[in-house]
Amino acid sequence: MSASRRLAVLAAVLLVVGASLVVLPPARPARSQAPDVLLNVLAGGAKKLNLFMPDFTVVGGPDPTGLSRSLAEVTAGDLKFSALFSVVGGQPPLPAANPEALKKAWTDAAAAGAHAALHGLLTPRADRLEGELRLYDLTSPELRLIATKKIAVVPTETRRLAHKMADEVVLQFTGEAGVADTKIAYVAPRNGTKEIGVMDYDGAGAVPLTANQSINLSPRWSPDARSLAFTSYMRGYPYLYRLFAFERRPVQLLAGFLGINSSPAWSPDGKQVALTLSKDGNPEIYILTLATGAFRRLTTHPGIDTEPTWSPAGRELAFVSDRAGPAQVYVMDVEGTNVRRVTQSGFNTQPRWSPKGDSIAYTSRQGTHDIWIVAPDGSNVRRLTTGPGDNESASWAPNGRHLAFQSTRQRGPRIFTMLPDGSEQQPVPNGPTEAASPAWSPRLP
Amino acid sequence: MAQRRGSVLAVMPLLVLTLFLVGCPKRPATPVAAAPAPTGSALAPAPGAAPSPGAPAAPGSGPSALAPAAPAPAAAATPGAPPRPSEFSENANLKDVFFDFDRYDIRAGDAKILDGNAAWLKSNADNLVLIEGHCDERGTNEYNLALGERRAKATMNYLVSQGIQANRITIISYGKERPVCSEKSESCWQKNRRAHSLVKAR
Repeated sequence: MSASRRLAVLAAVLLVVGASLVVLPPARPARSQAPDVLLNVLAGGAKKLNLFMPDFTVVGGPDPTGLSRSLAEVTAGDLKFSALFSVVGGQPPLPAANPEALKKAWTDAAAAGAHAALHGLLTPRADRLEGELRLYDLTSPELRLIATKKIAVVPTETRRLAHKMADEVVLQFTGEAGVADTKIAYVAPRNGTKEIGVMDYDGAGAVPLTANQSINLSPRWSPDARSLAFTSYMRGYPYLYRLFAFERRPVQLLAGFLGINSSPAWSPDGKQVALTLSKDGNPEIYILTLATGAFRRLTTHPGIDTEPTWSPAGRELAFVSDRAGPAQVYVMDVEGTNVRRVTQSGFNTQPRWSPKGDSIAYTSRQGTHDIWIVAPDGSNVRRLTTGPGDNESASWAPNGRHLAFQSTRQRGPRIFTMLPDGSEQQPVPNGPTEAASPAWSPRLP
Repeated sequence: MAQRRGSVLAVMPLLVLTLFLVGCPKRPATPVAAAPAPTGSALAPAPGAAPSPGAPAAPGSGPSALAPAAPAPAAAATPGAPPRPSEFSENANLKDVFFDFDRYDIRAGDAKILDGNAAWLKSNADNLVLIEGHCDERGTNEYNLALGERRAKATMNYLVSQGIQANRITIISYGKERPVCSEKSESCWQKNRRAHSLVKAR
């Protein structure tokens, strides 16, 4: 579907939603029928579309493992997490090809306040699981089918099918796919060491990526979501490496100079890695061109310069420097020129440029650590977390609509997520009990 | 009803914004600054550091496709490469020095301690020294990696100023990754803000 058509659908749905609310049935009787839906609308906080999605319909065979319910729950969880939808699910699956039954289900859902319906169909094959989503606009008089999409996954990746369905629904309503089919890498303490692991964005399926029994830090995904750069003491000194998360390929050494080799940041095109090296006397920022192995130095200040982060256009880098006293966030052009200071007070580190380019998240220390956000020109400073504990190490979701971060609000560090306005702070539900330094992956290939 | 409609209309900017939030402000191109070439005793990046553009993306990237990372190929013997930190050992004649919060200058009292370390190193010229730079738990990992590096470097520079050959000294930063004390108190943090020295026979 073209972007313009999606936009038209979006505008049409929203306009119709706005109009339909005027003629909603009286609140109380319907409320008992679908409390989540009407609670949302009637609370006056109708910032979300109410989506009705019964359990998925399994076509052409039995459902011995209960995918109908389990995958629908995954998709529903994704859509709730998106903060765009209020989801009512859990109803039995609808028949695959019974227009009258479908029409009645959608009509009832619309009467209960649903704006849209998602009908998911699953077809298990020997070598794959096929899924189809059908999206209906329940605010249109004819309960119009507004989108369909077929998705297939290998049988071992059924959760990805559910995530892809959710991402498609988000695409249909916002013009940009959701981020359910992504992963979060993290650093987990283990017997005095720190190893890097990876999990689904919702905490499922956590597995280790390193097992070298040393200190491993700062995982950062390459833009193609296939590999991670990271700092490791596996050879004794802090060198920079690259591992391939989903392939049996050896770890590559990216930088092994005397001193620190740290703070990797992939250029948006994946061809370069900005990093911190101290080989020339003190921590400075360099750019490594992967195809040639050449290093280009960007900063020349005698103090600390570290933690580069690229603007999404690849023309600028934000970084941390103590050149004016306590650490602050600065921005420079990719040539190392035109340095300007972004943060003004406090002690500020861990800048992370947003995927849309409009803001930089960072960690500010005022006693404890909290996450703040600022426009790249230094304006519009906002505080996102207010304790308890230390909240730090923000990582943007690839669509810029969420941030992952580490928090010690429940004792040991855990990965949390929030919206960029600081709302909806919640722990990643199923993840490791102790994890830090989240790195949210780009959308998976 | 008007209130309801208003709140629904509030959805539109929320959703539409996601469509139109685009890149950072463009800047005119600026002259390319001359970048100094990397120098001296560096390990070259391993062969194959460049991505293989022809390699197909893994078709499946779910948990089933995940494999534990293979061990890194053994580092090639590189002239000038420092001995591994594990080859160094504790020596009671070399004392720790400590640092003020977020600082890496050698305090006057600690200079005397380093004078003692320098004297021992002069009379034990067959020993190499490894200086570890450490930080307290406050501050973030990567900044503390740089801060620990500066502390180790400041300690090294002091020893060199006292006549110790720079080629006898190796430094390493552990940032805040290896605290000796784990309580949340200033006395504990002070113990962690340190430069610690180890030795190895040549």
